[in-house]
Formats: sequence, C-alpha cells, structure tokens
Amino acid sequence: MSDDFYLRYYVGHKGKFGHEFLEFEFRPDGKLRYANNSNYKKDTLIRKETYVNRSVIEELKRIVNDSDIMKEDDAVWPPPDRVGRQELEIVLGEEHISFTTSKIGSLIDINNSRDPDGLRCFYYLVQDLKCFVFSLIGLHFKIQPI
Amino acid sequence: MSGGDVEVEVNDMDDVVGGVTMDEEPDEEETVERIKSGARVRKGRGFNEASERITMKGGDYDTVDSQQNGDPGPARSVEGWILFITNVHEEAQEDTMFDLFREYGAIKNMHLNLDRRTGYAKGYALTEYETYNEAKNALQGLNGQDLLGHKLHVDWAFVKGPLKKRDSNRTTKTTANTGRSTYRRR
Repeated sequence: MSDDFYLRYYVGHKGKFGHEFLEFEFRPDGKLRYANNSNYKKDTLIRKETYVNRSVIEELKRIVNDSDIMKEDDAVWPPPDRVGRQELEIVLGEEHISFTTSKIGSLIDINNSRDPDGLRCFYYLVQDLKCFVFSLIGLHFKIQPI
Repeated sequence: MSGGDVEVEVNDMDDVVGGVTMDEEPDEEETVERIKSGARVRKGRGFNEASERITMKGGDYDTVDSQQNGDPGPARSVEGWILFITNVHEEAQEDTMFDLFREYGAIKNMHLNLDRRTGYAKGYALTEYETYNEAKNALQGLNGQDLLGHKLHVDWAFVKGPLKKRDSNRTTKTTANTGRSTYRRR
C-alpha cells in the first residue's frame, strides 16, 4: 500500500463579521499550516506554519485510520449552507476523500440526518483533529487557538 | 529512574531531515498534487464544488525559527522544547504521565488529549520542558518506557525542516514498541 498522506480541514462562514474561518493542513513533508480568521471584536488573521516530526504524522494517520472515515461518503450529508461550510480532504494511501457538509450544531442534528453513523464518524474525527492541532499549534507558538 | 546509562536508540536526526536543498520549496505544491492525483479511489462532493476557502498556498505564515531550511534535528518552540509521545494506553492518567516526565525536569506543559467519543486517552501526549537537555534526557530515558503494558514512544514534536522524502520502493516505519525506525522492503 502506498504511504501517501495529506490532510486538510476547513470550517467557515460568511456573515456580518465577514469571512470567518479556521483551516489547517498537514503536508507529506511534515509541514503543518494553520490559519484562523476571526473578525469578531477585532480584525485578526492568524497564520502559522511549522514542521512536525514523522511520529506526529504517523499518529495522525493512525487516528484517521482508526476513525474509518475513508469508508464513509458525504452523498447524503447536509450540504453546506448559509450557516457554514466544512471541508475535509484526506489522502491516505490510494484513497482520496474530499467531503463537504454544513456546520454541525449538535448530536441531535446528527441523529436527525439521513446518515447518522457517517456524520457521527465525521463529527468525532473533526473534534479529535482540532484537539490534535490546537495542542501542537498552541504549545509551539504559545497561542490559544480560537 | 535515571535512564542516564540506558542505551536507547533514538533516530531523531537521520530519520527526520535529510539532505535538504534549496529547490525543495518550489516542488512542494507538486508533491501535494502528485499525491492527490496518485490516489485510485476518489469520493466526496468536494471534488465538484468550488471552495470558498482562502487558499493556503499564498501569503506569509508566522514561524518560530527563521532558519527553517536545511538544519536537521529538533526545533525549539516559543517557550521551550516539546516532546511527542505515542502508544499511550487509553487508561493512562495525566498524573501518572506527569510523574514519569517530571523526573527529567520541570514540566511547563502537558497535554494528554482525550478521545471525544469515548472520553479515554486518545493515545498521544505532548510535554514541554524549558531546556533542550531536559527534553533530550526525557526522550532518551522514557522512550520505550512501559506504561500499563504499552511501551511509550517518545520523540521530538517539531523539526527544523521538511521530512526526508521516502524512497519509492522503501518505507520508513516507526515502530511504536521499540521507538526505532526500521526499513521495510516491499
């Protein structure tokens, strides 16, 4: 199996504070990029990048693998709407997913959706990924993400 | 435990950053594109939708170290040196981890993140020391340390430059149990 790996997550919306979003990306060479634009209160765009070690990438691959997200499909997930948009793009070996959906408010939204199992898988993986990235970026740059 | 005289093989140098040349940066995008186009199975609406995201390709990103290119080895963070620990047992507790790592110096920060679905430890942790030597000693002393039947794998979280490209017919695999990198022929 191919060892290729790439991961990108985006969440954002366009509202009265402009285009607010969070995005992070892990590249195959270990480069981690993080961008967060929040116009609330003050206009700030945070952009950080650093190189993570191979063991960090390997752990991320394990988390993605264990989540079974590659087996899911976004075909019947709630499409992105005015409230917001999420994108999750992953290359893992020979599989490439690029999923989009709306923001997910709570588990109730998931249970009422047409694909609760798939959406729940996405929901928890995204939380775990955010937690992973916030620890890395927060510790490395001494900032409090979000 | 002191761990000072224990020989633990840690490939924190040769495994991480190879011969980096100045032409590394321009073909970075190509590498991402190559990886994406190399996939055999594609799935998702994202392939057919225009993204409203601001592309990450352009713009200036803040970095901690201005000398990012070419220098192999671990990279310093803003306030210290950060270790990345994997193969952490799901029932591991923060105070147990803290006691292990405190032996090597004052811990400035520790994150033992939880699985959002189960509430148990996700399997990794981060620990920060103020000095390089504290972190280095903890890495050497605790890599391979048993915790609840799992051997901890301890490594630097950040490196100064891009990871070495892997040979197409060879795979570097970090084995969590030994902390050593082994080459596996396909």
